[in-house]
Amino acid sequence: MKKALITGITGQDGAYLAELLLEKGYEVHGIKRRASMFNTDRIDHLYQDPHETERKMVLHYGDMTDSTNLIRIIQSVLPDEIYNLAAQSHVAVSFETPEYTANADAVGPLRILEAIRILGLEKKTRFYQASTSELYGLVQEIPQKESTPFYPRSPYAVAKLYAYWITVNYREAYGIYACNGILFNHESPLRGETFVTRKITRALARIKLGLQECLYLGNLDSLRDWGHAKDYVEMQWLLMQQETPEDWVIATGIQYSVRDFLDAAADELGGRIRWEGSGVDETGTWESVRKEAGDACEGKVVVRVDPRYFRPTEVETLLGDPSKAREKLGWTPRISFKELVSEMVREDLNAAERDELVKKHGYRTFDYHE
Amino acid sequence: MSETIEISSPKKALISGISGQDGAYLAKLLLSKGYEVHGTARDAQMASFENLERLGIRGRLVFHSMALNDFRSVLQVLAKVKPDEVYNLAGQSSVGLSFELPVETLESISVGTLNLLEAIRFTGRQIKLYNAGSSDCFGNTEGLPADEETPFRPRSPYAVAKATAFWEVANYREAYSLFACTGILFNHESPLRPERFVTRKIVKAACRIAAGSKEKLHLGNISIARDWGSAAEYVEAMWLMLQQEKPEDYVIATSETYTLEDFVAAVFGAVGLDWREHVVSDVSLLRPTEIMISRSNPSKAFRELGWKARSNMHDVARLMVESENELLNAGSRPAVSQQ
Repeated sequence: MKKALITGITGQDGAYLAELLLEKGYEVHGIKRRASMFNTDRIDHLYQDPHETERKMVLHYGDMTDSTNLIRIIQSVLPDEIYNLAAQSHVAVSFETPEYTANADAVGPLRILEAIRILGLEKKTRFYQASTSELYGLVQEIPQKESTPFYPRSPYAVAKLYAYWITVNYREAYGIYACNGILFNHESPLRGETFVTRKITRALARIKLGLQECLYLGNLDSLRDWGHAKDYVEMQWLLMQQETPEDWVIATGIQYSVRDFLDAAADELGGRIRWEGSGVDETGTWESVRKEAGDACEGKVVVRVDPRYFRPTEVETLLGDPSKAREKLGWTPRISFKELVSEMVREDLNAAERDELVKKHGYRTFDYHE
Repeated sequence: MSETIEISSPKKALISGISGQDGAYLAKLLLSKGYEVHGTARDAQMASFENLERLGIRGRLVFHSMALNDFRSVLQVLAKVKPDEVYNLAGQSSVGLSFELPVETLESISVGTLNLLEAIRFTGRQIKLYNAGSSDCFGNTEGLPADEETPFRPRSPYAVAKATAFWEVANYREAYSLFACTGILFNHESPLRPERFVTRKIVKAACRIAAGSKEKLHLGNISIARDWGSAAEYVEAMWLMLQQEKPEDYVIATSETYTLEDFVAAVFGAVGLDWREHVVSDVSLLRPTEIMISRSNPSKAFRELGWKARSNMHDVARLMVESENELLNAGSRPAVSQQ
């Protein structure tokens, strides 16, 4: 039985990947950071009590900023595959915490690669690095493929650039099976609430039920290539099973704007957003299409632009070219943009309805602001 | 306005890594231009500053202790010195050593540069920053000359760290409008190169052999090709970059590429020896990943800075040999400053 170690197992991709690997019969080990609150919501359904025998899923306390901890975990697990999904993964936050971002996202992967060497596991343990389309930043060609030069535009992207190249270097220098998946944006109902897609589906669902007034966003014209995380973790596994380690773009090859995403989400909720004005004054007004909904927000401005969400340097457009993955591995994403938005909206509407119900009966709910 | 300032108080420069080869030449250049020059070392009390002694400028500089990976120390020195220009030359500088010390290499170069950029933002002052980039970032360019538009493909922990620092500088320039730029310097040598670097190692061995030593010189791959220039000239380009209207990145090089074998032949030739009788190849000196050919196109620096290399590899080899022989002839006498 193969053993996998997933850093960042409590995140969106970690949860989907853990599920996939368990299905494939792996023994899955995950690393989670210690926090004063539980942060294992996304993998709750996979959890196995430590008192069970023959556990297939084991969690370890750890941190990407702690070398000795990582070496010790890897030594005790002796994994066949390490998936490095842990990171400070929020672009905007990286402008606020650039040094921490570098420590977790750049030094972190180096610590793991060094641990593999120190433990003499170069021939045994394969390494997957979660690289990102943010590396392309100010894009040098459209669409972006494996050979497109990078132009990172945030401390997050710069830290990820280090991780990308150190992964390549350890592959070339020490013969480690180490590879990068350059993943374009990938979303799901498990996406963190502060990422724009989830922020939109969660807010519109709550607005529809009258739990929230208005949604404030940054650049509505940003163009992204959005796929479903569930599809993308399959590719993460797949590129670890090849004869030789390589780097791969993982994307859909189709692009939408943030505004398109809002329109699709509104449509899913039986509404339509009427856009007026431009720039920071642009507003989106809710119009019900399915009248039976009786939306609390009918005719109200539900989307506004808040310059607070503009970034010091913006990434305007990202569009991936996944031909290599398609041609060499036969990989294509299965879930469409519409299905992705639909699933996210459905889940968030469900959660909002639960909140509404709980509130109605006089119990406290949490709004979880940023 | 700026003229009055120049007359009333000299410009102040802060050089991190002043004890190194480039730091020493840059300090000398800036002193000659009338700057008040401050330099930092991790421990300014314990640092040797031998290079500064050799150039005879140690007494004209002000030293501070600063470790780039310690944000507080960076901030304190910036607050105290209030420099107009900062030259970031600090950091682990050996490609070979970076395979042994990958974390130190990353922290001193990438985290260090990030700290410096953050500290400059924090002061809120108009401080210009020069960042020492490296041609190693280009990796193997298939024999094509690299210019400012050539994508990076780093092949050592050193080069990966330098590529990261390059993009940090570019991002802070674009995000916060800092006057910050990177000079992508190809190999530049001088008599001040430490022996850890292959050029100085070759020169030292050749001069000892010429003086009667029976040793053999062990070298790794001598078919690698590099663009070698003179460090004393390259520091002029650093200064010029900070005197432009707009901060930009520049490739600094000679545009002439030679093999390491050519360099070895030039050095042994300068002391009247046939290198083939004294050099043995040693596979233990091969690096895990190596750049085979390094080739440059420094035309932007000429066009926009008016800078052009005056010395090529042969001039540098000769200069290094002459200087080494002077040191050898000085024998066991203690080094004295030349000024």
